[in-house]
Amino acid sequence: MPSSDVLGQVPGFSRQLSVLLLRRGSLLAFAGILAVFAVTAPHFLSAGNIANVFAQSAILGILAFGLTCVVIGGGSHVVSGGLDLSLAANLGVCAAVYSSLNNAGVNAPQAIGLTLMCGLAVGALNGFTVVVLRLPPLLATLASMNLIAGLELVLTQNSVLPTDSAVLDALVDGVWLHVPALAWVLLGTGLLLGLLIQHSPYGLRLYAVGEYPEAARAAGLNVKAYVFSSYLLAGLCAAVAAFCSAAYFSGSTTGSGDLLLSVVAITFLGVVFSRRLVANIPGTLLAALLLGFLINGFQLLNIASFWVNGVQGVLILLVVALSSALRQEEGGQ
Amino acid sequence: MTALAQTPGSRVLLSRALRGVLPLLIILIVVFFSLTAPGFLSVGNLSSLVLNNFVLLAIVAIGMTWAVAAGGIDLSVGTAVDFASLAFVVLLNAGHGLSVAIPGALLAGALVGGFNAGLIAGLRITPFLATLGTLFIGTSVQQLLSEGGQPIYIAQHVLPGITRLTWLGVPLTLWCVAGLALLYGLVLARGRLGREILAVGTQVQVARYSGLSIRLITLKVFLASAVACAVAGVVLSSTVNAYVPMSGNAFLINAMGAVFMGTTLSRTGRANIPGTLLGVLFINVIANGLLLIGWNFYWQQVATGGLILWVLAFSFASRRLALQPR
Repeated sequence: MPSSDVLGQVPGFSRQLSVLLLRRGSLLAFAGILAVFAVTAPHFLSAGNIANVFAQSAILGILAFGLTCVVIGGGSHVVSGGLDLSLAANLGVCAAVYSSLNNAGVNAPQAIGLTLMCGLAVGALNGFTVVVLRLPPLLATLASMNLIAGLELVLTQNSVLPTDSAVLDALVDGVWLHVPALAWVLLGTGLLLGLLIQHSPYGLRLYAVGEYPEAARAAGLNVKAYVFSSYLLAGLCAAVAAFCSAAYFSGSTTGSGDLLLSVVAITFLGVVFSRRLVANIPGTLLAALLLGFLINGFQLLNIASFWVNGVQGVLILLVVALSSALRQEEGGQ
Repeated sequence: MTALAQTPGSRVLLSRALRGVLPLLIILIVVFFSLTAPGFLSVGNLSSLVLNNFVLLAIVAIGMTWAVAAGGIDLSVGTAVDFASLAFVVLLNAGHGLSVAIPGALLAGALVGGFNAGLIAGLRITPFLATLGTLFIGTSVQQLLSEGGQPIYIAQHVLPGITRLTWLGVPLTLWCVAGLALLYGLVLARGRLGREILAVGTQVQVARYSGLSIRLITLKVFLASAVACAVAGVVLSSTVNAYVPMSGNAFLINAMGAVFMGTTLSRTGRANIPGTLLGVLFINVIANGLLLIGWNFYWQQVATGGLILWVLAFSFASRRLALQPR
């Protein structure tokens, strides 16, 4: 990175400037992408289309909120820091649990409650392996991902479980103020978690635990409890995303594990929208929407969807290279 | 555990015992299946277990071992497998012989490794995110080249049939694993490069101050990892007589599991080739045995996930005991 050498000369001011540029730059890039699509793609800026993108981003966005919580609580180092690779599998098993409960005639509140419990239970399992057994999150959640994906297969026999309920109908067809219900779920979850993580004492302490665990411990915080709670939040997010997925696909589907890599990508893309270059809820929301708009724009322009993965990959690399260059200034290594 | 670990002597003993957990578990599982699963110990089953399941995962995991030993991870092993497989099939179908197709395949795999190394050593992206990006880009490239994931079959008349060749009665693919394991294992355990890799993997600052070129070592590690995967790509496409897009990703999770289970064998919890091979064996024996006693594929995955979690828990408990200050 040539820029890292340039930045090194005047630490204080030029770093602030470059962080500002990077942050504004990423917002500008976002706006630029939107502008290009607005000019070239027909109906891109129509209210209906934008609402659709929000709704379609709900599943990935909510899963990425969960991962964001875990990354904040565990620190951003990818191997030893916080990571939850089981999120997508958790969504799969929650959707399967809800579909089979609903099909078995269990009443709505019980089915919903048990599904949320299922998500929380997976989160608790991850929390247990990370906090009590002290496995690195990468490995712990990799193993639990295998376990849960297996349970989903056992439950569904690797087939689609179609289901239909009033809740799912409301989610997929409901419209309030011309905005689809799934978009409201995304925005609502984002708002709740945003308040909890960015604007509450709990969130502040979670950041402290993730970034400076020793200092947090010295300050009297129960580090283990906070890390554990971040996995519970992730499990809850997976369950909420499972309802969106079940509504969107009218039941549980196979292959939910394919979502995982996009979820990781969105979470680490979201980092670039924050001033201190840390994972954060609003950034994750923006990154999820950015990806949603990209896919949508490609569809409207009739560009093969094969490009989407590549663009996503280049975006991650670009963002991470830029932010790691900036962080090296700070860390001095 | 705290009661046991009070005196240094018992702590060392316990740590040693925990280190033996993986080999012991494999022996127990083999005994269990030979008693309960009919035909588990038959020549037909064992050779199919080794040739169909063990070989490919072992080669990929050998490559991954180096990346993990250097303190990184390689999520793009599947991409290297696929690129090599694609180059191999295309070159064969274009009328070139094996003498062109195999080096071409290795080169294609090495390209992926070089790209990773450029991102990690050049742009200083963490290996996890760099190889994640490579995985995404590799998926797109493959989709574009194969019209969305259509397999490319090896034309009938150029069928190489490498997988059916034997030497001294042992299939060529097994020699391949043995050769790679010996090469990567010896370099990692005895060679100068191996010590440098472990230095970078455990104490990167110390390695840097000792004058090691982290970038050069990173380049070597990720090239070596990708070349091993390229060998797996050649074996894979000559086994199924085709290039199937994105098929390499199936190895990723199990390869990671095998490498990290293999770290149990090392006192300090480092990735090592013998451990990795045992890990691969563990995963394959369980899958095969459960299949034979009539568990379906779905329960196999649950059991494998649970057992891996268990072995990992032991592995890290043992490492903490070993590394505790006396």
